[in-house]
Amino acid sequence: MKASHLSDDRLIELCVLDEASATEQQHLSACARCDARRGRMQRLLDEVSDTAAAAADAAFTPERLGRQQARILAHLQHEGRPARVIAFPAGHGAHEPTVSRTRPGSRWIAAAAVAGLVVGAIAGRFGHDYSFYSLGRPGPSRVIVARTAEQPELRASGSTATIREVTASISDDEFLNQLEIAIDGPAAAALQPIDELTPRSWEVR
Amino acid sequence: MTAAGAVAPSAPLSRDSQLAAEIKGLVAGGERDAARERYGELVAHQQRRAVRIAYQYLRDVHDADEAVQDAFIKVFMHITSYREDLPFEVWFTRILVNACLDLRKSRSRRLRWAVPMSSTGDVPPSEPSAPEPTPEQRLVSRERADEITAAVESLPARQRTVFTLCHLAEQTTAEVSQALGLSEATVRVHLFRAIRKLRRLLERD
Repeated sequence: MKASHLSDDRLIELCVLDEASATEQQHLSACARCDARRGRMQRLLDEVSDTAAAAADAAFTPERLGRQQARILAHLQHEGRPARVIAFPAGHGAHEPTVSRTRPGSRWIAAAAVAGLVVGAIAGRFGHDYSFYSLGRPGPSRVIVARTAEQPELRASGSTATIREVTASISDDEFLNQLEIAIDGPAAAALQPIDELTPRSWEVR
Repeated sequence: MTAAGAVAPSAPLSRDSQLAAEIKGLVAGGERDAARERYGELVAHQQRRAVRIAYQYLRDVHDADEAVQDAFIKVFMHITSYREDLPFEVWFTRILVNACLDLRKSRSRRLRWAVPMSSTGDVPPSEPSAPEPTPEQRLVSRERADEITAAVESLPARQRTVFTLCHLAEQTTAEVSQALGLSEATVRVHLFRAIRKLRRLLERD
């Protein structure tokens, strides 16, 4: 009797893969030990598969499966179709050679740059002349920068930002450095709304 | 469980295999919309099984979702290469397992670059357990479910795949050997080892 006990591997096969042959079935009916072993293994495997199925089913509710199916079918609806081609603006036909390399957007940018340069030059000159302390006085160029100590201050009405005149000549690097400090300062925050309203160069087409 | 053995070409095809063959014919005949409509049915039939396999394999809802979607889309895209003499389930499972493997690879690549958020490691996501009458029973059931999940996760990748396909997806060793490109004997060895290990980890007495 002992020789015909079913091996562990055979029990696994019976539980997962195969059906017991007539001889095996007969043995299982007669041998309580093998029958109990098979029962234990079957319960264990059922427990594992039930746990796995329950976890997957809890994670994938019917609603989720429905959404998944809809996404799959929506995806397939677009498969195999040619990609949408966006036409170039009118006036730039494929057969028509482009003569001018200047795009309308570029022209606007160039015009804005020239205008900015002119306004900057005028404002710069006016700024020098505007200074309270140097009115009509020739000398080194002067720049209005952010607050520093021990110098007479200019306080704008209703504003906490203070500015003072720098009388010494400064290099370009120093100038740019001070410009950056001024931009980062609190006074620049007041200009933020205007900045937001101003279109960027890449937005102009 | 049905008896294992070679997939007999003369065996009657399953309902889903017939449906897949029909879809293949529709796609080949240029009736893509009709094919897509029929494919919705096929997705509905296979979806639950697919998410169970993918979730068991990947242990992550989003990854499993993605893998299943990917597999269904691939199946439709390559439906003309489906061989009607083979069960659709086998072909589909092979594609699904490959999708899971790809996702697993990309996930490990992602994790290599990600900053760990906690020291919990690769702990499976929490899943709501089935309703239980008392909190104590719920706790015990939950603990047991966690124990089973951890035991399955502790299996080497190949053993877990074979176990998932043979036991949870209820495929024969012949079908699994086709799906994974392994010999049937190798599939059996992996299955025996997996179950022996699970039994060692989970049997209480």
